[in-house]
Amino acid sequence: MWRLNKVRHKAGGHANSLEELRTKRREKERALRQARRDRQLVSKRLLRNEDEEQDTMEVTPGEQDVVTLFQKLHHGGTEKEAFLRPLSKALRNPSAQLTFIKLENSMHLLVGLLTGSDARCRLQAVRCLHELSHSTHTSVASACLPATPYLLTYLSGQSTKFTELCLYTLGNICPDSETVKERLLAQGIIPALAGCMQNHRHNLAVVEAAGFALFQLLQSKDAVQKVIPSVRSGLPSQLLSVLTPDPDFGLAPAIECAWCLHSLTSSSEDHRELLAQGALRQCGSLLVSLGGAVADGNTDQGVELLVCPLLRCVGNLLSSCPAETLHSQLGGVDLVAPLCELVVALIHTLPTLARETAWVLNNLTAHSTESCSALLTLNLVPRLLELLPFSQGINTMVLRVLANVAHKKKEFCIQLAELGLLSALTATLKMADQDIVTLSLEVLFMMIVSSPQVSEQFVSQGGLSVLEAIQYNSDGEVRRRATYLLEQHILREK
Amino acid sequence: MLQPDLLQLMAMGGSQTRNGDEEEGFREAAEQQEEGNPFTFNPQLLRLHRDHELFEDGDVFRHMYLQDLFMSEAEDDISPLPPDLFLSVSEFGCHISGCRAVFSTLDEYEHHYNSLHRHVCCSCRRSLPSARLLDIHIQEWHDSLFTILAQKQDMYLCLVEGCGQKFRTSQQRKDHLIRLHKYPPDFRFDKNRKEKGTREASREQRTNTTMEAADDVCRSEGVCEVMCSVESNQLEQEESMETHASSEEAAQFEDFSASAQTPETNTEQLKPKYSYRFVVPKTVCFGHGSVRGFRGQRGRRK
Repeated sequence: MWRLNKVRHKAGGHANSLEELRTKRREKERALRQARRDRQLVSKRLLRNEDEEQDTMEVTPGEQDVVTLFQKLHHGGTEKEAFLRPLSKALRNPSAQLTFIKLENSMHLLVGLLTGSDARCRLQAVRCLHELSHSTHTSVASACLPATPYLLTYLSGQSTKFTELCLYTLGNICPDSETVKERLLAQGIIPALAGCMQNHRHNLAVVEAAGFALFQLLQSKDAVQKVIPSVRSGLPSQLLSVLTPDPDFGLAPAIECAWCLHSLTSSSEDHRELLAQGALRQCGSLLVSLGGAVADGNTDQGVELLVCPLLRCVGNLLSSCPAETLHSQLGGVDLVAPLCELVVALIHTLPTLARETAWVLNNLTAHSTESCSALLTLNLVPRLLELLPFSQGINTMVLRVLANVAHKKKEFCIQLAELGLLSALTATLKMADQDIVTLSLEVLFMMIVSSPQVSEQFVSQGGLSVLEAIQYNSDGEVRRRATYLLEQHILREK
Repeated sequence: MLQPDLLQLMAMGGSQTRNGDEEEGFREAAEQQEEGNPFTFNPQLLRLHRDHELFEDGDVFRHMYLQDLFMSEAEDDISPLPPDLFLSVSEFGCHISGCRAVFSTLDEYEHHYNSLHRHVCCSCRRSLPSARLLDIHIQEWHDSLFTILAQKQDMYLCLVEGCGQKFRTSQQRKDHLIRLHKYPPDFRFDKNRKEKGTREASREQRTNTTMEAADDVCRSEGVCEVMCSVESNQLEQEESMETHASSEEAAQFEDFSASAQTPETNTEQLKPKYSYRFVVPKTVCFGHGSVRGFRGQRGRRK
């Protein structure tokens, strides 16, 4: 099991130095990043028996053994389990996997054992299938197709370990090819997953596995048309119910379900059902409690893995929530202060997650005067101003939030000026990034026209020379704005 | 940074209902504003599709976890954060079109701007280190009245502030500077006007590209030059950087459409002093006291 509190060193049997691990991780990260850019980001999970962990250090049997073992199994007899165990180990080898599926009747044999009367053989057979499912060759996934109706059937069974293996096997093979995915959908994988989650809702390991399988299904490119419509009925409420992490078991099931919810909210624009089920309130309140823990520094290992999808859910749900219903949808959950604290807490450790948090703040404040007012009264603005030096889109997003506030009322502009926004703007107006300069001019405009005092304050802080310099900017729109601001407003008042 | 093709913007603007007792929001005020208002900001709900680049890092992080490559900070001293991700601070960039300079601190930016872009002579594009020297330069180089008067009276003012002495020729002033004020003979901000002729000729051959950097003409003169085109009449034909509201001023004031970055000069004895000017000579087109800022109001004291 890959519980988060265990360090897994899976790169072979020898002891790896820290440096080797780091290098390996870095390479892997680069590969994943490129895969995402190619829209090919897919992962598989491998479930290992706890008592077998020492075995990972052994040299795994080679291809020849696969053939031998298969022949022995084929010949019948009562000792099948004795051969199945080494077979599953042998099938960890990628080339052995390919060899196996090319053997005549190999899959037929496995399916037979999977569905036979010997329960232990069933378990070993599914282990073999599980090892096969981990292959990176799509031909292997296709070869497993004969087993899928049975794997799905077993999801409504009661054996938890067995069910877990079925789930991870299904989750591993479904992204591999269109054929496999279509077949699984036709065979009713989604209702099966829903039923499984319901039946085994007290077994969090199974819930985690089901969440993973669903996540894999939701990653397909045409998920919106083919997967999500069936997911709508029933599963979302189950996913939501799993969100609160169990203190003993850990974050893993909640993580899977949260990522499923993120896939749902970010692939589709129709969030009515999720909103109706209180998704915004639930995700929001969980975010508040987790965010508080992050800000305080009391984090479970890997809590960011849960915070990230929750932020995205809240962000996208907010974007389809009409302003009038925002308050009721949030159900009294106050997100403004927790989100601000979260941005500040994350800025140095996980800056891109901080950026996502700022995005959620934007959606929260865009059309809500209440949220904007809260930013002011809770004295959160100075902390946001401190984030304006940071680039890579962080300052642009934070400035957007402040712009949302300024846009609401002239009185807010005056308060923002008192809190130091004008001097922050004289700095952001000098930045090299054109986006932040353009946005700064927009904010400045709102501030200047809000009251003569603000305009005077800007001038007394040396703002005129800043604008005059901007009149020579290479971008015509920027020049136009600076000139307009100078001529029509600042200087008119003199 | 937010790619338009993946970013779905829902600008739910003025159709939003508001509470009755709210003050007039910005929207309503904006709608009453005059034509030609280029500002367009409205709060916007940003919906991010799952493939959006903003989500890239989090997704990579997630998959590192799925593939067992995630390790918490507490263990083995390996940060869960891929080392490529670091927090970066915005650079500051000089606004002047054609000047490509970037700086990591605000102070550097200010120093650059004040040194190179403040006191620039419109006619010949030279950047002088202070307003006073700019005044003197304009008077001595570009003022025909000065030339006439100088034939009969002592017009060349000592460069040292507070001295006040005037001389009949620039050479006499130079001698004075060397003898009395101990200036070096090759003081960079006291070039002879006669030398200008050769440079003018060579500059005329240059094209009017805004991105040219000053070449070694700058160095040989010792005066930091901001290159653009040469003659003032050429300037008026150039693309104006501003839309001129008043045409009479357009004729009078020369536009400064571009400048190029020059290497920082050693200002040596004189530090850039930027005094805020309340008298704006006609030919100054740039810096605080710029025409654009004070069109029609201040600075028409000639």
